[in-house]
Amino acid sequence: MSPNDDSIQPRTRLLLTLLRALLPRAERDELLADVRAELAERSRAHGDAAATRWLWWQTVSSAPSLLRWGWWRERTGFLPPANEFRPGGPMLQTWMSDARYAARRLRARPTYTLLAVLTLALGIGGTTAVFGVARPLLVDPLPYANADEVVTFWMPGWWTEEEFLYLRDKFTGFRAVGAQRPGDVTMREGDAPSRLLPGRQVTAELFDVLGAHPLIGRSFRRGDDVQGAEPVAVISYGLWQELGGEQSVLGRRLTLDGTPRTVVGVMPRGFWYPDPEARIWLPKALDPVGRNGSWELVGRLAPGMTLEKMGPHLARLTSVMHERFTYSKKADKISTAKLTPLRETLLGPMRPAIVATFVAMALILLIACANVAALMLGQVEGRSAELSVRAALGASRGRITQQVIVEALLVGLAAGLAGAGLAAAGFRILAQSLPIGAWGESATFDWTMFAMALAIAVGAVLLVVLVPAFSLWRGDLRGSMSSARTGGIQGRGGRLEQGLVVAEVALAMLIVSGAALLVRSVAKLYAIDPGIETAGVAVVDVISSREMEADARRRKIEEIAAALAELPGVRSAAGAMKIPLRGGGDSFGITIEGRDIERSFTYFRIVTPDYFATMGIKLRDGRLFDGSDQESDSGGSIVINEALAKKYFPGENPIGKRMGGGFTGSWRIVGIVQNVAEAALTDEAEPSRYYLARQAAWFGNAGSFVVRTTRPGDAEGLLDDMRRTVNRVAPGFAVQSTTTMSRVLDTAVGPARQVMTLLALLSALALVLGAVGIYGVISHFAARRKRDWAIRVALGLPGSRVVTHIVGQGATLVAIGVAFGALGTVVLSRLLTSFLYGVTAVDPVAFVAASAALLAVGVLAAFVPARRAGTVDPALVLREQ
Amino acid sequence: MGDAELVPLGVLEEQVLVAVLRTRGEAYGMEVRREIERVTGRDLAIGAVYSTLDRLEAKRLLRSKRTFGDGPSRRLFELSSAGARALTETRAMRDRLWRGVDVGGLVAMAKG
Repeated sequence: MSPNDDSIQPRTRLLLTLLRALLPRAERDELLADVRAELAERSRAHGDAAATRWLWWQTVSSAPSLLRWGWWRERTGFLPPANEFRPGGPMLQTWMSDARYAARRLRARPTYTLLAVLTLALGIGGTTAVFGVARPLLVDPLPYANADEVVTFWMPGWWTEEEFLYLRDKFTGFRAVGAQRPGDVTMREGDAPSRLLPGRQVTAELFDVLGAHPLIGRSFRRGDDVQGAEPVAVISYGLWQELGGEQSVLGRRLTLDGTPRTVVGVMPRGFWYPDPEARIWLPKALDPVGRNGSWELVGRLAPGMTLEKMGPHLARLTSVMHERFTYSKKADKISTAKLTPLRETLLGPMRPAIVATFVAMALILLIACANVAALMLGQVEGRSAELSVRAALGASRGRITQQVIVEALLVGLAAGLAGAGLAAAGFRILAQSLPIGAWGESATFDWTMFAMALAIAVGAVLLVVLVPAFSLWRGDLRGSMSSARTGGIQGRGGRLEQGLVVAEVALAMLIVSGAALLVRSVAKLYAIDPGIETAGVAVVDVISSREMEADARRRKIEEIAAALAELPGVRSAAGAMKIPLRGGGDSFGITIEGRDIERSFTYFRIVTPDYFATMGIKLRDGRLFDGSDQESDSGGSIVINEALAKKYFPGENPIGKRMGGGFTGSWRIVGIVQNVAEAALTDEAEPSRYYLARQAAWFGNAGSFVVRTTRPGDAEGLLDDMRRTVNRVAPGFAVQSTTTMSRVLDTAVGPARQVMTLLALLSALALVLGAVGIYGVISHFAARRKRDWAIRVALGLPGSRVVTHIVGQGATLVAIGVAFGALGTVVLSRLLTSFLYGVTAVDPVAFVAASAALLAVGVLAAFVPARRAGTVDPALVLREQ
Repeated sequence: MGDAELVPLGVLEEQVLVAVLRTRGEAYGMEVRREIERVTGRDLAIGAVYSTLDRLEAKRLLRSKRTFGDGPSRRLFELSSAGARALTETRAMRDRLWRGVDVGGLVAMAKG
């Protein structure tokens, strides 16, 4: 039977179809024809069944190799499909075989591989993490339409409602201008304790200015911010989710600060203003004579306008302001007129910290690159015999360089992966240790960071590979083979390696001296006596509903203070409207009975009796508040600080004198206490006076409770109890935050402290990397001249001289690096200027400290290989070669 | 030049190259397969032979050309000089390996 198409069994036909599908298109017909011929042959010779079995076997066992080869040839792109005119080339295949070869080499040298990968990964991970944290601020689009049209006005936080209402219809060059100020509120649901909602008070235009539209409901409209308007609120997506996330939230009444407000809109997910913390926006019923200067103005430029073109409009605006308002020199809004892009305003205070950290991370990455470059250089030189054999066999320089590049790329790939892992692990820590507030909390790690890590890795590796590639292109490969054969002395060379160490040390110097500067500056800040004993003081900040009556609030505050004092482990407790180190707070005019003084203001503190004892503020003269200071409607006792005594009562005893201002009535000075850091740690001593809550009115709705524990270390552990106590005693109060006085002091020291911590960590890293680099280069140097040393030692040179010489080599390299680094420091330390206190950017002490640290590390790192070289037996070395 | 020459040949590659030599100008896929089966008794899959031929050409150890005219069109393979070198080297390598091995003893051992 002849197996032509008609007579073939269906099963055979199926097999043939299958085989045909597997075969390459261009040749399938001719190949199949051959298969058929063979099938016919076999069927004639061995019978149909055997022939069919044969076909089965052919099809099944052809499939793997055909599929594999077909995939390789057609899909990988490593080979162009071959034909007579384009036979395919080994070019791309060499890359693959190089990759395989490099992978084998790397596996065979685990120490080198691990060191290179980890070193690079540290730099890559660090830069990636900083970039990730800073990205929402620096790169990501702001959640506002055409955000570059949105600008903030000069003197933010200084504008009044009176000014805004007067100017409201007089702005030109703007599409809209709105105003906002902080407006945290308490929210009460049923009998549960009040909770705090970070929020903003705004004018009706604000969302139009931002070009932000609510997800559901409406934003504010004209008339929402006039007195007598129905109180409404727009809430954030997050708050909406907490409230149930239902459409029915619109129209719901929330009890905010004791008054019901209707929710009219929900902002979309991802919207924030002015930071991710704000959860609710409330229109303020604007007061035409409101003189509280706490507002910030934001505007959207009119279509076609740019910041540069706004000059005439601003001039017009300030002349309108000039007609109506007069300003003191200190708060002159006329001559300071300036608009700032919104992003800059948002980023402004955080920029120095971000830039400093980013630069430090980039320096670490560069140091890592230098280190890995030195490692690879060492590898290339170690392979010089192998490479020269290859060259002798006809491998071109390009071909050998390609191998080095492939190896570097593999290292880079691994380092990129490891770096992404490190970035993911260190991301949270970094986000919280950078002084960027709410952004630190809301920063998230996502896949773009992964891509970023790989991109940085490839960039770094291309930088790294320049060094060995350069050495290859410059070097004489065949020459090095002959010297390898004869074991020739190679005293010269290694200059590239030395250059890398110098660069590494110079880069490390930048980081280390920056850290030293900050350490000095922060130490000086902590050395300032704030006038209070910060250890062992716990703090609870509360906020009460604005609607609460002042007297009721004061009584509640005394109740809370009493309840807190009852807690186990508590020595004393007190309430204060404002505690030190947290900004100025209120100040009022001062008068002194029987005397004419120039109109002036002093800080004004309202406290409960045990405040001084709790804060550790020492009495200088007279007495503190006590039981004899009873409730009163007209005057009472007053405690002043030394600065006030010095300024207003020079050369006389103020005790018993009477003064006024702020509250009505006559107030008798009963005591003088030491000065405390009222607003900021670095301020000069400011005059301030203390009133007893029982006698003066507690006029704000916020306040803090301070508690001194019996043991200094217990403050942290008491915070939860304190929070519960406040909730139990006064459900109408919301706990805003809990902290300790030590942490308040840390915050007062400012971003410098956090940046210092980061830089100190990075310095340690830089020192370690530097030490590894110096160690590597010096031991390479020592090994290369081993024979040289051996001859000298054999001729009578003491081993200690060898050690001194090699350590001297290392020290010289470090010294040169330090010198270059010092030059760079002069330029770069300007980045840190805004953090510095009491030291200049060019601080000799910091310089010397950093140089000494680097020299010490350098000498130590060089000592190890030097000792090895100095103690080796020359006979052994000479015999070995 | 290039690394391809330095990599020693695989067993199948070697057999295919030798079969191409043996078939002398008639080296197309099925014929190479037949030749190997005829000599070694190994019934190879046509797919394995075809893809090996193609791969060897990509490595420039073989060259191929198409026949037109009478009979079916076929892709005929012939050895390139690189292929010849690779074969000689592989063979030399094998000879070196076997040199000094007691073949008689080995045969005796195989027979048990």
